[in-house]
Formats: sequence, structure tokens, C-alpha cells
Amino acid sequence: MRLFEIKNRDGLALAGHLTLDGVQTAFPVALDMNEKFPDLMHYHHDNLSLFQEKMQENWSDLQINPGMLHPGGKPVTRHGDILLVPNWHTAFINPRNYIEWLVSIRLKSPPDTLWYAPACALPSNVHLLVYSGFSIFDWTSVDLKSAQGIFCLQGCELPKVVEREGFCSCEGCRSGSLLLHNRLALLSELNTVRYYIYKQQLREYVESRSRLSAFQVTVMRLLDQCPVFLEPFIPVTRSVQMLATTEDSLQRVEVKRFMHRVLSRYIPPRNDVAILIPCSARKPYSTSKSHRRLKHIIRGRGHELIITSPLGIVPRELERIYPAAHYDVPVTGYWSQEEKKIIGAQIHEYFKNNQYRRVIAYLEGGALETVTAAFSALEVDCEIITRDDPKKDSMSGELDDALYGEKRKRSDIVRGTCLYQFDTSINTENFILKGYSPEERVFRNKMQLFSFDAHTGYLRPTFQGWDLIKDKYNVCIDPFIPQGDILAPGVVGADPQIREGDEVIVRGKQAIATGRALMSGDCMVESTQGVAVKVRKVMRIEPQ
Amino acid sequence: MVSLEEVRPLACWTGTDYYQGENIPSLTIILKTRGCNWNRCLMCGYRFERYSADELLDFEAKLNAQLNWVINNYPSSSYSMVKIYSSGSLFDPKEVPSSFLSRIASAFRGKVVVVETRPEFIEENKLETFISDIDTGAWETPLYCAIGLETTNDNIRDKCIDKGFSMSDFFCAAEEARKAGAGVKAYVLLKPPYLTENESIEDSANTIREVAKIAELISLNPCTVQKNTNVEFLWKRGGYRPPYLWSVLEVISRADIFVTCDPVGAGKVRGPHNCGKCDTSIIDGIRDYNLNGDLSLIEALLEIECDCKDEWEFICMKERSYCMPLTH
Repeated sequence: MRLFEIKNRDGLALAGHLTLDGVQTAFPVALDMNEKFPDLMHYHHDNLSLFQEKMQENWSDLQINPGMLHPGGKPVTRHGDILLVPNWHTAFINPRNYIEWLVSIRLKSPPDTLWYAPACALPSNVHLLVYSGFSIFDWTSVDLKSAQGIFCLQGCELPKVVEREGFCSCEGCRSGSLLLHNRLALLSELNTVRYYIYKQQLREYVESRSRLSAFQVTVMRLLDQCPVFLEPFIPVTRSVQMLATTEDSLQRVEVKRFMHRVLSRYIPPRNDVAILIPCSARKPYSTSKSHRRLKHIIRGRGHELIITSPLGIVPRELERIYPAAHYDVPVTGYWSQEEKKIIGAQIHEYFKNNQYRRVIAYLEGGALETVTAAFSALEVDCEIITRDDPKKDSMSGELDDALYGEKRKRSDIVRGTCLYQFDTSINTENFILKGYSPEERVFRNKMQLFSFDAHTGYLRPTFQGWDLIKDKYNVCIDPFIPQGDILAPGVVGADPQIREGDEVIVRGKQAIATGRALMSGDCMVESTQGVAVKVRKVMRIEPQ
Repeated sequence: MVSLEEVRPLACWTGTDYYQGENIPSLTIILKTRGCNWNRCLMCGYRFERYSADELLDFEAKLNAQLNWVINNYPSSSYSMVKIYSSGSLFDPKEVPSSFLSRIASAFRGKVVVVETRPEFIEENKLETFISDIDTGAWETPLYCAIGLETTNDNIRDKCIDKGFSMSDFFCAAEEARKAGAGVKAYVLLKPPYLTENESIEDSANTIREVAKIAELISLNPCTVQKNTNVEFLWKRGGYRPPYLWSVLEVISRADIFVTCDPVGAGKVRGPHNCGKCDTSIIDGIRDYNLNGDLSLIEALLEIECDCKDEWEFICMKERSYCMPLTH
């Protein structure tokens, strides 16, 4: 019987359920590990610091459960195991080591293993451990705090001298048991963390929870600085809000990926005029009052580019795509130097690569300052129409005047989305959109090619639609006819650029299928459990 | 160059030792030599205190000058026991010339002499010569070979200390010493790196029980974090904690025989320590025990109440080799 089932992933974090002695428990979880895994008692005289491998030979001799995962050790090849990372609590001394070891153990273990961090978990740090990929914990650390008379809270540990009255009214506190209180505090925090994984917003939770510890913020930031490592774990689409409420949000993979794809994958339509306009609180922008008014003034006489933080340039055609339609930011009009620098660089790059005859900026505040600075180093001039009072839009007449005589052109959302999503330029001639936004279906000659996913803004190609995309986002399976979803063991190959949330085409000798990836391409190839592709439609291939 | 008149041993002091049921005045000398030939023990920081290659000119003269300084500053009547250390092996001819060895012997004639050495340098003939120079018949055992056995567990001695000799080497050395009429003093290391608090208590307690059959004198040395050692490397990275003073008490209390213990750096972060509140009284107690061998004192100290005792008991129970040390 399988020990555990991974149900949800959010970045490196895993959630699911674990079956021990016939009892099912949700993880991430804290357990009495010595009781659940009596083999642990065999680890004796086997200390191995994270720094060195001196006593490695002892460890590798032991064929016990949980097995060991060490940053300096051999890669683990067995799937479906719980792996103990020895002395991980000492990784909390230096954040650089923490990251180095984390990258190392991630690369050395299959994606369908659960990591056990012994003597690490406290209510104040377990969010970071889960965010780093650990799923199994024990009571050692909280029980030690109890032995020391320390009262554990979410944000901090109160020393013995502080009066505890009124902090908590849990069962432990009511019965005067510090041990019980500290364990309950850890349980409660683990429940919260599990909820945020399920909600796909663990990053937001970690950003907020880490602020009381410089170490935790450092780890989060250093991890953001390893995009090559982290990127494959981050889904391309989500259907939940993305809160960009801290400066660190600018460094999120989701944000960097969007900015990068706008530069590298997206090609603007042949418009002469670019109009830079502000974002709106309501998403997608075009459903907002201000954008409806703008649309009425612009009437297609220019290519609309929304300038926003933290995403930089959002071309109108991409406004429904995650995270453009999903982010929320505190709006003050003020942009920090960091925002200006990063977004300014993207604007500069965009207009260096893409030529427009005219660029009109209908902006204000930080967005306008950023655009002005970016254009100062470009040969193109930027015509500025300042908005004095955004509520009155008193300058809208001026924008109308500026566009006088420019040709009208339709925005092509299918072409733009295809470029962003599949890195493929398709000819959209004779395409017809049916249905209402945001759930249009795309036809050509009465043949449906795509439909829009209202939650993510992504295109869902039909088999005919996939014919236009050619050899990308393929998942190869064994020769069988899928009944329901494609499980990871059935996958024999997958496009390495597939990420969780991507639309994919499944190809096998007996059938092809369309669906959505629930893990990265590499992960589906390496995993021996879990749903790899949520199948939408299956088509048998008739034997010839 | 420093003139020979200014040459002194690394350290020299007088004290009192509890020997064969009574207190006797003792002199401890730490000589600066060419240094230990093995030079690999993971916790040893003394190995840096040696004459470097360019200081080896007049080496023997310097050794003699150190001895002269001791003779001139400590009248022979002021002590009955001499303990001579070099953080190496006095009986290693490469480290200390044999001619100097006989000078030492004649200088301390009539005393109980304790000489530090690794077991491989203990030979019956060499010891007999040395003993004949010091022995006046005043003491039943005029010479003790002080060997840093550290533990009776070969695996720990090899992997956690990198000591470079085995139990059988120690047995052979003890046999050689006995044949020459010398005694053996065994040093036991409490908490080498890579052991949990409990593993180290068990190891030292076992070691004392086992070595009591061979060694007449036993000294318990709680490990300290010395500069530029492997232990310091681990300690700085959260991988090592010196033993609790509670553990020191625990090991002494479990011993059936008298065990000398003069914890170096006790109460400091780099030495054996508790929480800081109870350290002083425990250290004072251990020092008293050191002079009277009164085990009830140790047992009484184990009964004193302090906040950190729960912590120590928890550590002993829950610390495992895959999650240690739990405290600092």
C-alpha cells in the first residue's frame, strides 16, 4: 500500500494525505516520529553534519525507513519514500547554506518523496520549512521549548519571565499544560499552512509571516534569486488572486515570467501607434469603468499597453492571463525605486525591440515617471498627455485629439494569447469568436479551434486547435486509452517547458487527448504517482 | 632571537592532587616541544603550540632552559607530584630527545612523576631507565604514563576523534608500562564531536568502568572548543555543543572509583556549561570533589534545582544523531 498521496502542490510545498498504521493524516504534519517509525531508534552514533560526509559510510549501510537525504550524499532514487534530512535544524544558522543545501537535496531526490525535517518545526518557522519543500515534522523542537519553559506563539517565543495571561485560551492553557499549548500552536500553524497550499497562496502567506525574522526573509529572497531552480515548480496559471503587497512580490517567479514572456514570446500586432495607459483596480482592466471610457475614446486607433506594477507592460490582448487579471496591489500612485528600475528596464527593452511610429503616454505618477525615464534613453519620442484628475478624465479630449486621423485596428486576443501561452504565432484570419467574454469559443469555418478558460485567460485548444500549434507542449504516454486523468506513471516523455497549469496534448499509440498539466513536464516523467494531466477530451486512434 | 634566559614553559603551576586517599602538593608543567607527531585529533588545539621549523635552532638548549626555569622558580620541597605535559608525547624521541628525558628524570627524582605520552612510545626498556633515574623507593609507583585514551570504544575513537590508536594498542602499552613498574593514567574525553549528549554520557561512563581495570588513575576531561580545530568548525556552524555540566556530574556519579576532573573552560560557551545560573556552584563542587573524592558531593549537586535541568533531561532523552545538538 502506498504510504502517501500528494494532492496539492504550491511551489516547492506539498500537501496531501499520509496513511500510517491504517490511519489517514493530512500533511504537512507533525508526528511522533519515533513511535511511527521505530526504525529511527537504529540511528545511533551516526551523526552527520550538513557540512561534511565523514561518517557517511555508516549512514548508507542502514536500510531503514525513513531513508536519509543529505546535501553531500548520493542521490536518492527510490520513489514514494519519506526521507530524513539529518540536522536540518542547523541550516537555520546561515541562510546561504540553507539555500545551497535545499537546492542540493531537491535535485537529489525524486519529486514524489516527502522530506522529514527532524527537530525543526516551531509555530514561528514551519511556514518557511513547508515553503522550502518539507512535509513531515516532529514534536522535538516545540517540546524542547516546553522543557525550557518557553511559550510558543505564531510570531515569537516568549521567555519564561513574560506573563502568559491572556495570550491564548487553548485547551493546554486552560489546563495549565505548556507542552500541550506549544503542540497545539504548532498544529494550528500547520493547519493554516495547509490551507494556504490548498488555496495556492502559500507565497503570500510566507511573505507576510516571515517579516519578524531577518533569516526567513533572507531565505525567501535568496530562493527568488535562484529562478532556474525555482521556476519549474511554479504554475503558469492559477485561478486565484495574486497579492503583490510587498516589495518581494516583484521578485516572484510569476511576475518575472510574465515580464519575460512579454519580451521574449509576445510580438505586438502591426500597429503604428502605441498608447500607454494606466491599470485599474478591477481586473481584467477592460471591465473597469475607467478602461471602458478609455476604450470609447481610443476606439482601436492604437495598440493599448497597460503600464502597471509589478507586471510592467500588459498588452491589452494579454490582460486576462494569469497573473494580469489576478493580481492586487496597494494603489497609492507612488512607485518605489525598485519598481521603477525593474519595470523601466522592461519598458526600455520592449520599445527597443518593437518599433512604433508614435508612442503616446496617457499616464501619471510613478508609471509616468518610469516611462519618461525609460524613453530618455530611446530614440523614439514619447508624447505625454498628463492626467491631472483621474476621476474627471479632463484630458480625455486631448487623447482623442492626439489620435485624430489614426487608423482603427482590432485587438487580436487569440493571436496574442497563443504567442504568450505556446510561443507560437498563428494566422488568425477568418477566426470567429462566439459567446461572451471571458468564455468565448474560437471557430474557423464552423470548426472549433479553441475556447478561453475564464479563470486563467489561457486558450484550451481542441484537437484541431493543436494542429496549429504543432510539436509543442506534448506529453507522450504508453500505448493505452486513457480512462479519466493521466497518471504520472503512464507518462514516458514530456516537453520540459510544460509547467503546472499549462494546456497540453497527450499523445500515445492508441489515443490522443487534450488536457491541463497538473505538474511540470520533468515532474511527470520522474514521478511514480499523482495526476499528471487532467484530461478534457480523448480521441482513440483506430488501428490501421 | 629570544635569549635563553627568557625561555619558559608554556605554563607551569602548583596545585593539590587527591592521590591515594590524601592531598599532596603537585606541580604541573606544560613544555613547549616540537609538538605531537600524530597531530590529527579533531578536538585538539594544543597542536599549534610547538616550535616551528625556524625556531628549532638550539632546540635542546631551549628545552633545558624551560626545565631550568622550573627548577629555579619552584623549590623541590614545594611539591611531591610532578605532571609533565607537552600536548604530545614526552617519550617520543622525535618530539623530545632522550638526553633531555634523563635530565627531567634526575630533576624530579623522588617525586611521583606523571608523563604524557601516546601509547606507541611506551617501551619497557625506556621506562625502566627513566624510573631508575627518578625512583628513590619513596613511592610504590613512581611513574605514571598519562595516555589520552579518550574512550574504550574503538569506533568512536577512530571516527569522532581520529586518535590513531586502538584499544589493543592501549592494552599493549599498559602491559609494557606494568612490566617496567610504571602505572597508567587514562584520560577520558567527555563528548567528542558527532555524539549526542546521551551517547557521550554512556560512552564516558562505559569507558571509566572498563578502563578502571587497567588504569590506576583516571581523569575525566569534558571537551572544549579550541581554536582552529575541527570541533570549532562544527561548533561555529551549530554542529557541536560542549557537554552540560550536568553530564559531567552524571558521569562522575556513575563511576565506581575516584575520577579526577578539572573541567577546562567550565561555564564558558566554549567549555562545558549549563545555563549560566547554576554553573558556578557546580564547578566549585566538582573542584571540591577533585580534592576529597567525596562522591556524595556529586550526588548532592545532581539534586540541585535549576531551570536548565529539565532542558538537559529533555536533551538526554530526545537528542538523536540525526538532530543534534538541540541546544547551544
